[in-house]
Amino acid sequence: MTTETPNFPPAPSRISLTGSGLLRVGGLLATVVVVMAAFGFLSGGSFLGINNQLGILRNVSTVAIVGLGLTLVIVVGEIDLSFASLYGLCASVIAVSWIIWGFPVWAAILLAFAVAIFWGAFNAFFTTVVHIPSFIATLGSGTLIFGFTLFITATATFNPTYPPGGRSVDPDQLAFFTGLANQDLPFRFPMQGVWLIVIAAIFFFLLGRSLFGFRLKAIGGNPEAARLARLPVRKYKFAAFILAAVMACTAAMLDFSFIGSTQPNGGQSLLFPTFAAVIIGGASLAGGRGTVLGTITGALLLSILVNGLALLAAGPFAQQMLVGTVTIGAVVLDRFTQQRRGLL
Amino acid sequence: MEVAPDPPAPIEAGVVIRGLRKLYGDTVALDSLDIDARPGEILGVAGANGAGKSTMIKILAGEVEATSGSITIDGEPWSPSFGADRVAVVHQEPQLFPNLTVAENICVGREGTRFVRRGSTEAERAVMADLAILDVADRMLEHVPLAIQQRTEIARALVRDARVFLFDEPNSALTSDESDDLFRRIHALAQRGRVVMLVSHRLAELVAHADRVAVITDGRCTTVLQGRTLTQEAIARELVVGQAKHETVAPARAEVDGKTVLELTGWSHQGDEFREVDLRVQVGEIVAVVGVEGSGARELVRSIAGFEKGAGAVVVDDRQGVEVLRAKSGFVAAERSTSLFPNLSVGDNIVVRLDGEITGRFGALRRGRMARLGAQIRERFGVKARSIGHPIRSLSGGNQQKVAIAAAMVGRPLILVLEEPSRGVDIGSKAEIYRLLREYAREGHAIVMYCTETTEVFDVADRVHVLSDGRLSDQLLVMTYADVGSLAADVSALERHTQRQPSAAASTRATA
Repeated sequence: MTTETPNFPPAPSRISLTGSGLLRVGGLLATVVVVMAAFGFLSGGSFLGINNQLGILRNVSTVAIVGLGLTLVIVVGEIDLSFASLYGLCASVIAVSWIIWGFPVWAAILLAFAVAIFWGAFNAFFTTVVHIPSFIATLGSGTLIFGFTLFITATATFNPTYPPGGRSVDPDQLAFFTGLANQDLPFRFPMQGVWLIVIAAIFFFLLGRSLFGFRLKAIGGNPEAARLARLPVRKYKFAAFILAAVMACTAAMLDFSFIGSTQPNGGQSLLFPTFAAVIIGGASLAGGRGTVLGTITGALLLSILVNGLALLAAGPFAQQMLVGTVTIGAVVLDRFTQQRRGLL
Repeated sequence: MEVAPDPPAPIEAGVVIRGLRKLYGDTVALDSLDIDARPGEILGVAGANGAGKSTMIKILAGEVEATSGSITIDGEPWSPSFGADRVAVVHQEPQLFPNLTVAENICVGREGTRFVRRGSTEAERAVMADLAILDVADRMLEHVPLAIQQRTEIARALVRDARVFLFDEPNSALTSDESDDLFRRIHALAQRGRVVMLVSHRLAELVAHADRVAVITDGRCTTVLQGRTLTQEAIARELVVGQAKHETVAPARAEVDGKTVLELTGWSHQGDEFREVDLRVQVGEIVAVVGVEGSGARELVRSIAGFEKGAGAVVVDDRQGVEVLRAKSGFVAAERSTSLFPNLSVGDNIVVRLDGEITGRFGALRRGRMARLGAQIRERFGVKARSIGHPIRSLSGGNQQKVAIAAAMVGRPLILVLEEPSRGVDIGSKAEIYRLLREYAREGHAIVMYCTETTEVFDVADRVHVLSDGRLSDQLLVMTYADVGSLAADVSALERHTQRQPSAAASTRATA
């Protein structure tokens, strides 16, 4: 299989851009450690307790899973504002088709993923075929999706353990669905954490180690050059939007499974933290830049801040202020280091 | 205690640059530049890419700050933060507001225009009349030809009473009529006592229009040519001083009897930029298509790569149909902003078009193989980069262009289609690019390129066709010409043969 010829010059030992990516994530991880130490000290140790740490891991997974999908869209140079609404719709589709329409739970889940794929393709279609800026296309589709959610749920909340009058839910199916994210694992490790690890591994390969990710970065870095080099720009943008939608659906399914109920406006509060996590993680809204480790670490930092401040009873204002500051600070720091490296 | 007053500095009219130095990190862009430009003359500035020419322009335009050194204008120290209006830089692509009218572009941002004014002042109208842009004063800038946009930029500087006019490759996208007109206006500026600097890659123009030519090499002004010493050959010699000698490029061939790989018959553009073109290209040859902007030449060449729609009979490698064009050709655009990926490293830019060659199972990238391929090609193409892991933007323009062409060649398309392959590239890189193109053709491929400069055609092409007014001329065999001058004469004769439409030409650019 290898067709190497002896007259190849030796391969350079290190690709420096990969190195700088590691540096970026390394700095972020160091920040995470410092913040954790600070909270541990301030809270008299209760922050570092195993229960709290497992709680953080569970909390981080929703933002991280949705954020990984968003990272693909941002790397390819587009924006998705609809994933938060889609999260709500997907949870509601599972709930309504399972509890009200009497679908088997697996069919309800498949239906939710089909709906997600449809909306991902919808976003990609208006962005790449109709040539509407993705900001507008997904702002519109997000609102449209939210409307659909309100329509199919009739603004009601659903809980499969207590189905509305006249409906019943098969106990085996309920056990299966609850087991997706709410299961006893050794060391009380949260099931959502396992999902996150598996998904992160897949995305790490996809974005960092595959042709797909390489081209995604190229397309995001210079879409016109990509077109003239005959890279499949449209196909890749479809893939990015659809994967983002699928990730929103996955997170919705897992949260529904863990919490045990859906709300029609579920997911609406995810929009900002997810963007913040991706941006703090080093992705560039201009496209062409973003990593899996960065996004996860960004989500982790946010989650720790939120959790730690809640533990210290700092008040809701402190959380908002700090998260806003960290988001701007991360980007400022990024620009500064990029300038130092002469990349801007 | 008595301190003797400083002796008054001798008042030097014009621009005096002394010891100008600019560092980007460890890279010395300008070492210690000394240049004098006197009022009433045109000072030409020549320099290979990466010599520091564009850094000097950026400093004078106020875009970057010098690390050290001084600039005085008429004896007064100058810095961009005070009196940026004293220096006007006219770029090849005017840096104006496309969404404002010509008149608005001239008055916007002036002192005392705190409120939107209705109409222009008398002085502004006089300047516009002088530059023959009064008729189009109310047209949106993006809808007027490039030549008028440039005159708007000059007018903008004139109403601000700019002292120094720096023209940066001002005519590279103009028709020859437009370019003649521009040079007349440049001479007029000098005659009225302004300081005029002309930066150009086109040596013939420097000789024709400049009174003196300063040559910049490695961030210093190495020589100033004037009078009898000012010849094209002298500038060319000074430019390559210190550069490695390149082996002479293989000569153009008169007859190529390779297999025909591309045959267009009755090939017409959907947007009517060219009509009824018949063209045949054989393996092993390099065919140039020449034409000014708007002649349709660019569109014809792009249509061969499948990026412009055409209709007619196409046979590529014995197969019929337009689809085959896309499958069998690779394309390199003229601007590096549309041929390179700024967020990728040198090596990644080289292999970005490959797929099967750099992937293993499940679409996994074979990083090691990518690095080896990149390093091998960097070696073969003589790309000067500290490592292939460095950002592409850390390379000089000429080396970036080599990477752009290399990226298209590694996929080994049967037909390589290029636009102005050596535009804005220093002489050393040019020779290397030509050598690579020749090699590629010799290895069993065909090359079609769009050119605007006859020198490029003379140096690398076997045959040239001129596209004028949408029609393709008969071929000229490059080998039958002893010197570039006679080829240029024949090419321009074919161009002049039919009527040109310069305004249509430039507006195509403006809307592109």
